[in-house]
Formats: sequence, structure tokens, C-alpha cells
Amino acid sequence: MEGLSRSFGETRALNSATLRVRPSEIHSLVGENGSGKSTLIKILSGVLRPDSGTLVWEGEARQLGSPRSAQGMGIATVFQETLIVPEMTVRDNIYLGTDGLFRSGHRKGDEIAGARQALSDLGMDGLDLDRPMWTLSLAERQLTTVARAIIRPWRLLVLDEATSALDAQQRDRLFDYLRLARSQGRSVLFTSHRMDEVLGLADWITVLRQGATVATMGASEASRGGILGHMSGREAHADPAVAEPGPRRGGAGQQSPQRPVLRVAELTLRAASKPISVEVRAGEILGLAGLEGQGQVGFVECLCGLRRPVDGQVLALEDNGETHVVRSYRGANRLGIRYVPRDRRYEGLFGPLSVFDNFAITLWGDLSRLGLLRRQQARKRFADFAESSRLVSASPSRTISILSGGNQQKVLLGRWIAMRPRVLVVNDPLRGVDHNTKEELYGLFRRLAADGVAIIFLSTEIAELLTLTDQIAVFHEGSLVAMLPTEMSSDTDVVAAMFGADKHDGSADD
Amino acid sequence: MTSVVSDRARPSVLSTPAVRQILRRNTYAVVPLAMLIVLFIVNAAVQPQFLAQHNWATSMSVLCPTVLTAMAMTLPVLSGNGGIDLSVGPLAGFMSVLISTLLVPAGITSPLTVIPIVIVFGLLSGAITGVLVAYVRLPAIIATLGMYLFYDGLGTEVLPQAGGSVPVWLVKLNGSVGPIPAVWVVFAVIALLWTLVSRGSYMRNLLAVGGDERTSYTAGVNVARLRLVTYSMGGLLACLGGLMLTGLIQGGDGTVGPPYTISAITAVALGGISLAGGRGGLLGGALGGGVLFLIQELLTDAHVSVYSVSVVDGIILIGALALNGTVEYLRRRSSVSRR
Repeated sequence: MEGLSRSFGETRALNSATLRVRPSEIHSLVGENGSGKSTLIKILSGVLRPDSGTLVWEGEARQLGSPRSAQGMGIATVFQETLIVPEMTVRDNIYLGTDGLFRSGHRKGDEIAGARQALSDLGMDGLDLDRPMWTLSLAERQLTTVARAIIRPWRLLVLDEATSALDAQQRDRLFDYLRLARSQGRSVLFTSHRMDEVLGLADWITVLRQGATVATMGASEASRGGILGHMSGREAHADPAVAEPGPRRGGAGQQSPQRPVLRVAELTLRAASKPISVEVRAGEILGLAGLEGQGQVGFVECLCGLRRPVDGQVLALEDNGETHVVRSYRGANRLGIRYVPRDRRYEGLFGPLSVFDNFAITLWGDLSRLGLLRRQQARKRFADFAESSRLVSASPSRTISILSGGNQQKVLLGRWIAMRPRVLVVNDPLRGVDHNTKEELYGLFRRLAADGVAIIFLSTEIAELLTLTDQIAVFHEGSLVAMLPTEMSSDTDVVAAMFGADKHDGSADD
Repeated sequence: MTSVVSDRARPSVLSTPAVRQILRRNTYAVVPLAMLIVLFIVNAAVQPQFLAQHNWATSMSVLCPTVLTAMAMTLPVLSGNGGIDLSVGPLAGFMSVLISTLLVPAGITSPLTVIPIVIVFGLLSGAITGVLVAYVRLPAIIATLGMYLFYDGLGTEVLPQAGGSVPVWLVKLNGSVGPIPAVWVVFAVIALLWTLVSRGSYMRNLLAVGGDERTSYTAGVNVARLRLVTYSMGGLLACLGGLMLTGLIQGGDGTVGPPYTISAITAVALGGISLAGGRGGLLGGALGGGVLFLIQELLTDAHVSVYSVSVVDGIILIGALALNGTVEYLRRRSSVSRR
């Protein structure tokens, strides 16, 4: 594949990325969140069509119109999401899509034999082919989606995070199968969030950053540090001070240690992950980092009572020394823990309403008396907020849709800030915001922290975390694997932790 | 103690692989089948003439359009993503108008020409709906509401009250062939054809698309074409229902069709078919149609007024959906606890 580009609206997910996979090769595609891995794989599997660029397959330029045509060419893909039809049997799930509309692609007996063989290759010999899919465990489901790919006559197998639910033994079994296939002249392209898998299995490694290919190297010449450096765009082991762009927080952070306002006690996110214990102090900004799906979102949802942890508690500490357990979303709200969800543009914006109404909509519960709204107070809070966030708006009574995207984001954030939270939990709040607005919002968060609000800031952008936070908690496979003091950490440190730092490798399961 | 004995006795009958597979494929049909049997017995007990030869044939021919339109509704519903075909009733009703005011006056009365015309009309009408749903991507409920209004208006415009004439053979289809109601022959032909279709991969594709569209697409199922074919077959079944309806009312009537849409939806729900798609089968629609018919027989026998029947229909529809949900919940729970 060469010079592939793909845009989603104004977001350029892939920008002239290039990838070359040879026969008899296991190739790993690595990159941070949003580097374009999944987009590239969707193009390769026929789900998405590129805006430009060509796919050359066995010497010929080809176009992939659908997943079916990709499979017809010999490219079989296992997607990141475990895609199954829950009501159907294991066998039907494995052979799904191999038929014509009316004519079966295989005899029933051949299907049974083929499914048995594929499952046995993957270490699931005893699985009843007639069981409905929804009765299977997560790992069994994931392996069944792998079986669905390998029963096809494939020459390139694409695995997008296809081992996330597997234990060490199941993974080894799968890797043995892949090595065997390589020896038969077939190729594998895989992504993984485990650096040990990348280094242990791949012959070649391609690194993507911001939608472009930044490096392709043989596994023998690759090192963990080298790969991490390419992913983050900085040399490995560079001076940490280099990773310190934008302005740091002002005097607020240097005050005498503040009292804790939130305590997480032995919180277990998943059955197999390690318990998490953290304390967040008033005025502190705690960053949360991790690759997609490593538990940081679940952690945030536990903090604000949207999700029940497997084990452990979240405690809110009042000024008067009282301690309350967060048990529900309403409870968390009452304790001053406010959550700003991720999809604000779609979940939080009331397009036809005015700027002011959008801002004040969460306030009426607090500000109404006997069912009457106290507009004057709400107006005052709005004026305060507009002042502090440098919100540019012709008039608060205009509809919010006339505001720029960045200013809309400000209003939406302001809605939660105006409720005067003790703990503000934000999930990727600056996604898609332009540079200047970002700077202004950094300022807003810093002032909030200076006023004693504890902020828990989940972000997919490492640079953002390094600019804004005091500490960065890094998640990997449902556990908190590193707590990095921002001042002493570099981009590379964070990325290394995101991919599972050395000492955690291999020990992460069961 | 007795439970231990029965547990041990049961496998000997039900554990042969073939039987187990049939049961597993059709578990959804167990409840409607049981309802059908119970209602049949109740009807036979309450109405002395229910099993009489002449009544038997009449009942079957009254039942036939209900069952066929219910089957026509079943296929789009199974295809998921809000699949439904509201036009089945008016489309069936329009067949009576088409045959009695267009075909018969033009001298087209032979079954060898009328039946193919009806079949092609159904396939084409269903294909138009299918294109709107699968390729233009209109919500099925809106696209088929449009088709509903179209056929309803057209039928009523041409023939606002009963009229016209129909070929004799069509009326005879509602009589008896010897001791057997002729409708049985129609059902047998459809059952035979359907068995052939479901021996191939169509049902697997249909249930997969209805069960999880994304999985099916990425696995290589041509989702859009499958939907197109599904709505076409639905249109075909609706028009066959219309053909039988024409013979039943022995003429044309532009207003006779629309109620069959509502009865078809109710029958689908009674047939244990998930309205979300992906679970059920054509048999469910047929059984549901039968159950609905037997309930209405009981109500008629009890001299319940037409308006009250409508009230009861509403309650049945909601009750059937609640029952589906409950059965599904119990099935999942028992299955989980067994492991």
C-alpha cells in the first residue's frame, strides 16, 4: 500500500501512509492512539475506501470495494471489536459470509471439519460447534473471530488487537499458528498494545505517527526504545526537559500540600487486573493516559458512579472530615464530583437554544426556589464564566450554533464548572479544539485548580497531559501501571508505560 | 426424587443429534405452537361445529390471507435494523382490484397467466421497497408506509366498494379438493418451496444480518442485496395472500386490504419472532397467524363486537411482545445457570 490518505470530515486520519508486507512475513503495525492504525486496517480489509493512494497486491494495483472482495483476494481480517452474531451457533459464526445469497459455499460436513480444524489450531478442541455464540466466554468469542478469518483461503491475515481478551497460553498457541503459516509462505499483519508481542513475533515493524509512516525496520535492528521514540516523535532517552513545551502551571501548584478530596481504595476494574489506590488533592490536576481500551475510561466512570468496580471503593472526603462512598452518579453529583463526558458535541449541545440557556441548563436545579428560576444569579455566573474563559460571543441570547466549535466547547465545559464542583472529571475535553482555544482552556483549568478544584483529566494526547497536569497515571490492561510526576517525565516515558513498561511485561495476565 | 427420574429419562428421546438440532433451530416456535394447540382444543370444545367438514374448509380459507401476509411481514422483520413492511395489507388488497377490474375484463383469466402476473407484481413491488430500504437507506417504517398509502389510495380510487368478478378457479381454491381444504395445497406448495430455500444459505445470511449487521458485512455478506431479496420475497408472499383473498371475497375491494397489515404485525409478535430481527423463522409467522385467527374465532363465537375485537387485538399485540421478552429472558437465564 502506498501513499494512502483518508480523511473523516476535517480530521485527516491517514496522511500518505505507506506499508509494505512481503510474502512469508509477520509484520507489526505500531503507533499511538489516533495514529491511523485502525483506519489503515479498515482500508486493507475493504471496509473503508481511501481518498487517494493505491493498493498493490501481488504486483497489481487493486481496488477493494467491500470486505467480501478483500477476502476474495486473500486478505482475511480480525477486527478490534469482537464481531459476532450472538444468536447464531459457533459454526455459523465461523462460516458466516462464505456463502452466496442462496447457495451454500460448503457442505455441512466440510464446515464441521473445517471449523473443528481451525478451532483446534487455536487450542479450542473441545468447543461444541452447535453452541450459541452468546454462551461463550470473551476469550472464546475472540478466538472464534480468528477462526472465521483463518478458514478462508487467506494469504494475508490482518489482526487488529486480536489478542486483547486472550490469556498467555492462548496467545502462544495463536502465535505458533502464525509462525507455521509464515513458513508456508503466508503473511501476517498485526497490531498490538503489548510491546513484547511486537518484538517477539514480528519480522518487520512499521511505525505510524499522525497518519503517516515514520519508520519501517527489521525486528532484529529494532529496540523498544527506538520504536517508542518513533511513535512519540522524539529520540529515545532524550533530555526530559525537552518534553516540556508550553507554560507550566503558575504558583498554584507550589502551595503547601492540600488536603485530599478523593480517595480511590483498592479499586479493581477487571477480574484479572491489579487493584488501584490513588489519592487526589484539592487543586491537583491528575492526568490519565493509556492506549484505547486499557481501563482508563472505566476508571473515570467508577469515579463518578456511572460504573460499579469489580471490587474496591471510591471515597469523597468532605472538608469537615466526613467520608462518603460514591455509590451512584447522583450520589457523586451530590458530593461535588462532576463528570464531563466525551461526546459533548452530540450529547450535550442543544443546537436551537441560546448560548445562555445552554450554559445554565444544569444550574436550574441548584438555583431555583419553589420551582421558580432565579435568572439573575444564573446571569451573574454566566458573566463570571464568560470573563474567565474569554468567551467571545455577540450576545448570550443568540443560538449556540452560531459560535465557533471552540467556543461551543467552552460553554459546555462552563456548564459543569458553574456548578462549582469539588472534583471535576473530564474525558478528553480538548479533542478537536484549535490551538488558541486550547491555550485558553488550559488557563481555565489552571485557574480552577488554583481555586482548589481537583481535576481528573483523561486525554488521548500525551503533549496535553505533559502541559497541564501535575501527575500522570498510566493504564495498561485494566491496571494502573505507572504514576509519573509530570515534571520529571518525558513523552517517551509515558509512551513506554502505555505499552507496558518492562517489569510488567508478560506478568499482566492471571 | 421424581425429577431425577424424569431428567434421566428425557435424554433418550431428545438427545439424538437430529432432533436436538431441529429443536435448537426452532426453539422460538415452541411457544406459538403450544398456544396454537391449546386454542384449537378450546375452540373445538366451545364451538360444536368447529370441526365440521364444511366449516373446516371455510375457516382455512379465511385464515389463509392472514397467514400469508404474516409470513410476508416475517421476512423483513427478521432482516433487522428496524425492518418491517407495512404495505403487505394494502398490497394484498390491491391484488383483488387488479384481478377483478383489470385482468378479468381484459380476458386474462387462466391461472397460468394470472398467477405469474401476481408473482411478478409482488416481486417488483417488494424490490422497489427493498431498493428504498437497502440502497436509498430510508427507514423501513417510513418507506413502507409510503407504499401502504400508495396501494391503499390506488385500490380505493379504482374500486371504493366490493365489485368486479373473478375467475372460477380462484373461488374453488377456497373450497375443498375431496376431503382436503384446497388451501392446504397452497400451504404445502409454499412449505415445499421454502424448504428448498432454507436448505441453502439464505436463512443463515438473513438471521446473521438481522442479528448483527456489522459482523455480517465484515464477514462478507452482501447486506444490501440480501435486504433487497428479502423485501422482494415479502412482496411475493403478500401478493399470494392477495390472490387467495380475491378468491375468498369473490371479487375486488379496495378497502379490504389495510387491516391485514395490523394482523400481520400481531401475528409476527405472536409467532415468537424478535421484532429487532435475527431470531425466528417463516414458520413463526404462519403459527402466529393461526393463533391470531383462533383467538378471533373465539371472540366471534362469544359475540364480541367488532370494536371490542380491535381492543382485544391491541392487548394481544402488547401481550405477545411482553411474552416474547419474558420467554427470551428465561431462556437466557436457564442457559447460563446450566453452565
